Amino acid sequence: MTIAQILAVLIFVAMFVLIVIDKIERHIVTLACGALTLVLVFGVAMKNMDAVINTLNVKGIFTTEFWYAAGESGESTSGINWATIIFIAGMMVMVEGMAKAGFFRWLCMKLAKMVNYKTIPLFIVFMIMSAVLAMFIDSITVILFLAAVTVELAKLLKFDPVPMILAEIFCANLGGSATMCGDPPNIIIGTSLGYSFADFITNTGVIAGVSLIFVIIYFYIVYRKELKVADGVDIDFSTIPTPKEAITSKKDFAISTVIFLSAIILLVTHASTHLTVAFIGAVIALVTLITAGKNALGLLKKVDYKTLLFFIGLFMVVGGLEQTGVLEVIAKFIGDVSGGNLFVMVAIILWVSAIASAFVDNIPFAATMIPVIQSLAATSGVDLDTLAWTLSMGTDIGGSATPIGASANVVGTSVSAKSGHPIGWGRYCKGAAPATIIVVTISMIMIFFRYC
Amino acid sequence: MSKQTIISISREFGSMGHHIAGMIASDMGLKLYDRSILDEMAKEKNIKLEYLEKYDEKPKNVMLSRRVGRFSNSIEEVMAELQFEYLREKAKTGESFIVVGRCGETVFKDHEGLISIFVTGNFEDKVNHIMEYFKISRNEAISKINRHDKARKRYHNYHSDFKWGDSRYYDLCINSNKLELEETVKVLETYIKARMDRI
Repeated sequence: MTIAQILAVLIFVAMFVLIVIDKIERHIVTLACGALTLVLVFGVAMKNMDAVINTLNVKGIFTTEFWYAAGESGESTSGINWATIIFIAGMMVMVEGMAKAGFFRWLCMKLAKMVNYKTIPLFIVFMIMSAVLAMFIDSITVILFLAAVTVELAKLLKFDPVPMILAEIFCANLGGSATMCGDPPNIIIGTSLGYSFADFITNTGVIAGVSLIFVIIYFYIVYRKELKVADGVDIDFSTIPTPKEAITSKKDFAISTVIFLSAIILLVTHASTHLTVAFIGAVIALVTLITAGKNALGLLKKVDYKTLLFFIGLFMVVGGLEQTGVLEVIAKFIGDVSGGNLFVMVAIILWVSAIASAFVDNIPFAATMIPVIQSLAATSGVDLDTLAWTLSMGTDIGGSATPIGASANVVGTSVSAKSGHPIGWGRYCKGAAPATIIVVTISMIMIFFRYC
Repeated sequence: MSKQTIISISREFGSMGHHIAGMIASDMGLKLYDRSILDEMAKEKNIKLEYLEKYDEKPKNVMLSRRVGRFSNSIEEVMAELQFEYLREKAKTGESFIVVGRCGETVFKDHEGLISIFVTGNFEDKVNHIMEYFKISRNEAISKINRHDKARKRYHNYHSDFKWGDSRYYDLCINSNKLELEETVKVLETYIKARMDRI
């Protein structure tokens, strides 16, 4: 190993350890480690200015292809993935606008009313809604609103909200795996490797759809008794808030709904319109801000800049591993272990991604693995698409197994605990770990049959 | 006593810090917020008391926890934040009170009426007190002291910017075994009154 490789690995490991220890905010950790990568790995050890420029990757933003891609080419995988950053920032602005107008709370209350506030139908409808919303909106926002409404309804309808919150979290992660914009690993995979929304929905989307049916059945069997406890208890339906009460401003509600639907249309059709996700993110944010008028500054202030900075730092550190050739070594190792057998390769990537994502943040893991699967596909001649869908399902679903595997899990368990319903590791894993194993197994079988 | 005063008393296990806090509260007519706030919180926030008691002043397990923005999956951390929030709400009412433990000096670090005290004690005296109080052996008492102090230290150091018991960050640190208990309380009350006159 060269000094540059050793330094890159040390910085990467230090970043992971510091993220886990959680003493320093994670965006500061990744940015500091990213700066160290630029200075120590590229500057001191490699003395390579090109590596710095490639990793910062700023030039790409000023090209037409960054905003309008006539071909299928993805963004350069090396360094900071600005398309991901801009898209996520744009969606954050849109989601803030929707939340302010009361859209999510209205949707939750509307569906609850539609099923006449019956616990089991509510449980199933909320699972489906969680999965569908998470296909287009980040799972943190979906769970933030859904868990809060679940707690509120549980109090009024007198049932234990924990089973419902656990099922919602799982379905949000599953829904996120179905589309290119559902989960950060998918956005990174999509923009790095040049996949479209349609590519994801027809590949990971199909797996997620089939899995959702099994997951609903599984959670129904596991939690039906806990949810039925409240049957027969007198409930005062007049105390339940109506969907209308959730809307803070009819005008804002209408505007945010139109913007949301437009975003979905733009994303679904972006392969044929050739508009990149960076363009869609930027336009959606601009329209939201323009229509917000004097509230625009307030919306901008609510954007989670820390997460965006976290991504920027992360991409720099992973760029260090890539430019020094460390990821090629990992790819060669997987290639050697599997002996070039696609079945073994898929199984390794899927289960290793799933198990790793259950305990560490799946975003750095996915960002690291993309160059690995690219190298693996190039050297062993296997289909890159197959490995990409495998990586996507592994990282997205694996995160559901534990309370710390994905952001939605942390937010959901936190909302539940704050409302007086703490969810420990035992209770969480008892419900979610078997569901994770079921979905990863379904994914493996479907990938084997369809692509191998 | 026109302005609001908040007295935070941090203490080593077995140092009689809690007892001292109770005596000061009684003498000065101040409300005491200690473990008893859990009952009130349980009622007000509709949380099972057993959860609050189980995770009271407990450090979080770093390896099994993760934060996303202001959210954490750690029950210990959520319960601690609920207690901090509860104390802040109490402070908003304008009443003066004593808070035992619960990172009081950190929660109210920006409050101009904060008086922070740390109570320590001689090791042998702490062991004897714990043996007598819990009717346990010397070895059990030592292990109990070590366990509790370790947990309090980790709990405090996670939620605070400075180390538990570091004299530089408290207004007053006192060894409760150098004087009689009543004398220690008197010294502290004299200091508190002098401070109150200047707030």
